[in-house]
Formats: sequence, structure tokens, C-alpha cells
Amino acid sequence: MIRKTDDIIIRTVARILVPFIQIYALYVIMHGHYSPGGGFQGGVILGASIVLLLITHGLVETKKKIPEKAIALFSSMGVFIYAGIGVLCLLLFGNFLDYGKLSVILNIPPAAARAMGILGVEIGVSITVMAVMISIFTSISTAEDHSKYDKEH
Amino acid sequence: MEVTLLIEAMDSSFRVLEDAKNQAVDIMNSAVRVTSETRTIEEKKLVNIFKGAQSRRAILQNTVATFVILFGFWTVLSGIFDLFHLTLGVICSLIISILTHDLLFANVRVGDIKLTIIRFIRYLPWLIYQIFVSNFYVAYLVLSPKMPISPQIIRFKTKLESDISWVVLANSITLTPGTITIDIKDGEFYVHALAKKVADDLNTGEMEDRVAHIFMEADHIYVQDVLDVAPIFGVLRKGI
Amino acid sequence: MNTFFLVIGIGLCVLVFFVLYRVVFGPGVFNRIAAISAIGTKTLIIILIMGIIYNRIDMFVDISMVYALLNFIGTLAAAKYLEIGGEKL
Repeated sequence: MIRKTDDIIIRTVARILVPFIQIYALYVIMHGHYSPGGGFQGGVILGASIVLLLITHGLVETKKKIPEKAIALFSSMGVFIYAGIGVLCLLLFGNFLDYGKLSVILNIPPAAARAMGILGVEIGVSITVMAVMISIFTSISTAEDHSKYDKEH
Repeated sequence: MEVTLLIEAMDSSFRVLEDAKNQAVDIMNSAVRVTSETRTIEEKKLVNIFKGAQSRRAILQNTVATFVILFGFWTVLSGIFDLFHLTLGVICSLIISILTHDLLFANVRVGDIKLTIIRFIRYLPWLIYQIFVSNFYVAYLVLSPKMPISPQIIRFKTKLESDISWVVLANSITLTPGTITIDIKDGEFYVHALAKKVADDLNTGEMEDRVAHIFMEADHIYVQDVLDVAPIFGVLRKGI
Repeated sequence: MNTFFLVIGIGLCVLVFFVLYRVVFGPGVFNRIAAISAIGTKTLIIILIMGIIYNRIDMFVDISMVYALLNFIGTLAAAKYLEIGGEKL
């Protein structure tokens, strides 16, 4: 599933499309409170862009762009951002994920602090979703045997 | 006794002299070696600096061009023009343009991006006109009761060189109704055409010339240049 | 104007069923993939028409773009799966 395609049209179109897909994913994440979308959906689109790269350019070239260590790091980093913001609110004598209390640190009114807190949480969610999507795809399509795949190529 | 002493002294002095000579030769050799090594190292460094500067310039140019395009796309999507969202847009476009600077513009010569984009935009109206015209022709083929079609596969070798120009040509052929690109293999296009007229239109090679003009490839007379010159010829002919 | 778009939307919904016939009975896998791709394109236009009817076109454009993207990647993945035979992934 994830070796390089021979078809030059598909490869080139995918190469041109990937940056636009990624900026669209970030748009979906950042505008989650105005239009449909949010952290999960944006993360799925980000993951889909990397999956497109995997399908068309193969595992070896994609690993150069985003190594597996980075994917593992991202998948835990997103959870860390999410929980970190929640615990930060706890430390400021609020409830878990009580964004209003963040106004003390950020020096803005509580309503704006809530918007910022939700944005941070959504960024965390999207990073985790992206990393987990990619790792699920690579695990399924290489049948969890990367070493054999590396030897063949 | 004295003679033997004298000979021994001479021997030892000769030995000392020879040692000194050998040492001097060694030192000279090592000095020569060191200088040559330093010279090659410095030459390599110079070459590396030159190459690095070139590639760094290409990377910088690609990153800036990608950033501008992505930020334009972001503003079109977002439609909110307050400071907060524009800052978010700049940050997001910067992250993605740094990560994917080699994806959007691969194998583009330094300094060509602007001209290529302008020529590509000038190519679009002609393509849309072609799509419009052949749309009517295919509709006529479909609706006429006799069905005057003659499906055929054309194989032609292209004079274009880079992958992006192949893809633009292939997608232009596919977008025009009646013709579909099946495959590209080693610079040979396999195109399915619905009727003879459509195939003849393709075989004139005007579309290929225009695509070559966009990406500045293949030494041939550019169609655009001919079109630019044509009105002048018309005036001259009238004058005669 | 709303009725116009409503009629077009219903017409497209009916057309989807014609293509669905190709998906279910179509001879061969390639017909099925092409038909599913065509259904995705029609769905995209239906989503946009719904956006016009509900006067929230800015939201529905976003949804339709995601739909087009996932349709593209899905078709590509299916085609790739067929290209290599399906036995060895």
C-alpha cells in the first residue's frame, strides 16, 4: 500500500495539493468557533494530507519529512497540551478546564480568555488526532513489520 | 689506534648528518602534505559555501513563494480581517511553508517562479475557451442520432521535459471534453480521443506549444510570440 | 430562486440512484470505483445547494471542500489497492 507510485500525474498533483490541504486543516482548527470544524476535524484533515503523501510518495520519502519518532512525540504532546491547560486552570483555583481563570495570566477579560483556552485545547486535540491517524495507517499498511519493509527498500 | 678512533668519529659524524638530513626531508614532506591538505580542505569549503549559498537561495525563494500563496489562500478562506486572525494566518502559513517548501515548487530554477505564474494565468482563458468549444462538439456527437464517433488511442512523444509541464499538459487534455489522458510512460502520452476532429485538434500540438511557453521549455517558436507579432503583420499587409 | 435550487437538488438526488445502479450491478471493480467517485461529486454539489437554500453558504463551502478531499483520497487509495493486486499490501 505504501510504496511509491509510478504514475507521474498522481505524484505531482499530490505534491502540489499537500500544502493547500495542510493550510486548510489549520484554518479549520483555528476557526472552529466561527464555522464548522474544530480540533478533531482539523486533525483528521492534517492526517489525511500525510496519508496522501504516504500513498503517493511511499514510506521512505515520507519518513524523511516526518519521522516515526516525531509521530510518537506528537501523539503524546497533544494530550500533554490538553491536560496542561486543564491543570493550569486547577492551579489557578478553578475547576479542571475552567478557562475563565486563565484571564489572570493572559491579562485579558474572562470571555476572551475562554476563547484562547478553547483554541489551545483544540490545537492539542488536533496534534494528537493527526499523529494517531498516521500511526494507525502506517501500522495497518505495513502489517506492523517496518524492519522487513526497510530491508526490502 | 688513532686511525680507528678517527674513523669511528667520522662514522658517527656521518650518521648524525644523515639523521639530520632524513629528519629535514621528513619535515619538508610533512609540511608539503599539510599545505596540500589544507588547500584541498579550503577548496572543498569554498565549493561547499558556494553550493550552500545557491541551495539556500533556492530554498529561501521557494519558502517565500509558498508563504505568499498560502497566505493568500488563508485570507480567501477566512474572510475575517482583524489583527488576531491575520496573525494566526501568518503563523500558520509560515509553519507550513517552512515544512513543505520543497513540495509546491520542486525543480524550479531560481528566478522563474513569478514569470511562470503570470504565464500560467494568461494560459487559463485560452484553455477555458477550448473547453467551451469542444463541449459543444461533444454535445453534438452525443445528441446526433447517427453517433458519428470513431474512438481511438493516440500515442505521441512529447518535447516537454519536466514533470510539472507533463502534468499540466495531461490535465489540460483531460479537462477538454472528448480527450482523456490514459498514461504517461517515458515521455510518451497515451490519449483516448472520442472522434477524429478532436484527435486532429490535439495532433496540431498547439496546446503542447502553449504549455512549453509557460514553463520555458523546448527550443521552438513560441505561439504566444507569434500571436503577439500577428497584428503587426496584419497592419503591414493592409499597408501593402 | 429557492425553488429553482430545490428542484436542481432533487434532480441530482434522483441521478444519484442511477449511478448507484452501476455501483451495485456494475461489471468489474473499476466501474464501481468510478461510480462511487461520481456519487461523491454529486453529493458535493447537493451540499452546496443545501447551503444556498439555508442561506449559510460560507459554512457549507467548508464542508464540501472536506468532502471533495476525502473523496479524492479515498478513490486514490482504492485504486492503489487494486494496482498492487491486493494480496501483498
